[in-house]
Amino acid sequence: MTSIDSKDIRKIVVACDAGMGSSVMLASQLRKQLKDSGVAVEHTPVNDIPADADVVLCHAGLAARARAAAPGKALVPFQIFLGDPAVTRLVTTIRNGGVVDA
Amino acid sequence: MRDGLLDPRAVLLHESASGRDEAIRRCGRALADVGAVAEPYIEAMLERERTISTYAGEGFAIPHGTAAARQDVLRDAICVVRFPEGVDWDGERVTVCVGIAAAGDGHVPLLAALADVLLDPARARTLREATEVNHVIEELT
Repeated sequence: MTSIDSKDIRKIVVACDAGMGSSVMLASQLRKQLKDSGVAVEHTPVNDIPADADVVLCHAGLAARARAAAPGKALVPFQIFLGDPAVTRLVTTIRNGGVVDA
Repeated sequence: MRDGLLDPRAVLLHESASGRDEAIRRCGRALADVGAVAEPYIEAMLERERTISTYAGEGFAIPHGTAAARQDVLRDAICVVRFPEGVDWDGERVTVCVGIAAAGDGHVPLLAALADVLLDPARARTLREATEVNHVIEELT
């Protein structure tokens, strides 16, 4: 479990297996939802998560690989690419302030 | 939007497939036919699908290859393959496959447009029911 205060979040990385499909769609939506927050959103393959990521979002089925590839990062797993409640909670926390426990 | 990303010849609106794998092969074939991928990419799309479903909601799936198969991508491209009778996709019913071949980020604007469509049930339905190639291209570009 890693906690991070929303005001310390500068970069969110959406990771998926290849970094060319679902992560792209989710990252595009997040970018739009967070465009006034100053938080950068990137999409990458799960084995290529950048060191400066503050929060990593990935499909629950890839969570173990993401944890191994980016140890110590706050990790938010999701089940569905668009409209997942875990992603909605993250956006709400960033907008309103609070702590992300993941 | 980059020229040639969504080639009208890769928009196939009246296809049928007996199941998920056949539908994915049809997408891979469409991408190969417009010169976007080399042959091995098609098997990589099947391999990728077996790890985690690319079902994206609203009757759409977005099959694509693995990270290792990027070497078989000749250029960024998208195909849209519609199965009016639907395809069983691990328990979901898929009507439209948006197949992806991407070595870079050329396809990102199109997938962003697709995400907008999928989050709007009325637009998603319009795209699911589209029977004209130019309507599909207009909706996604």
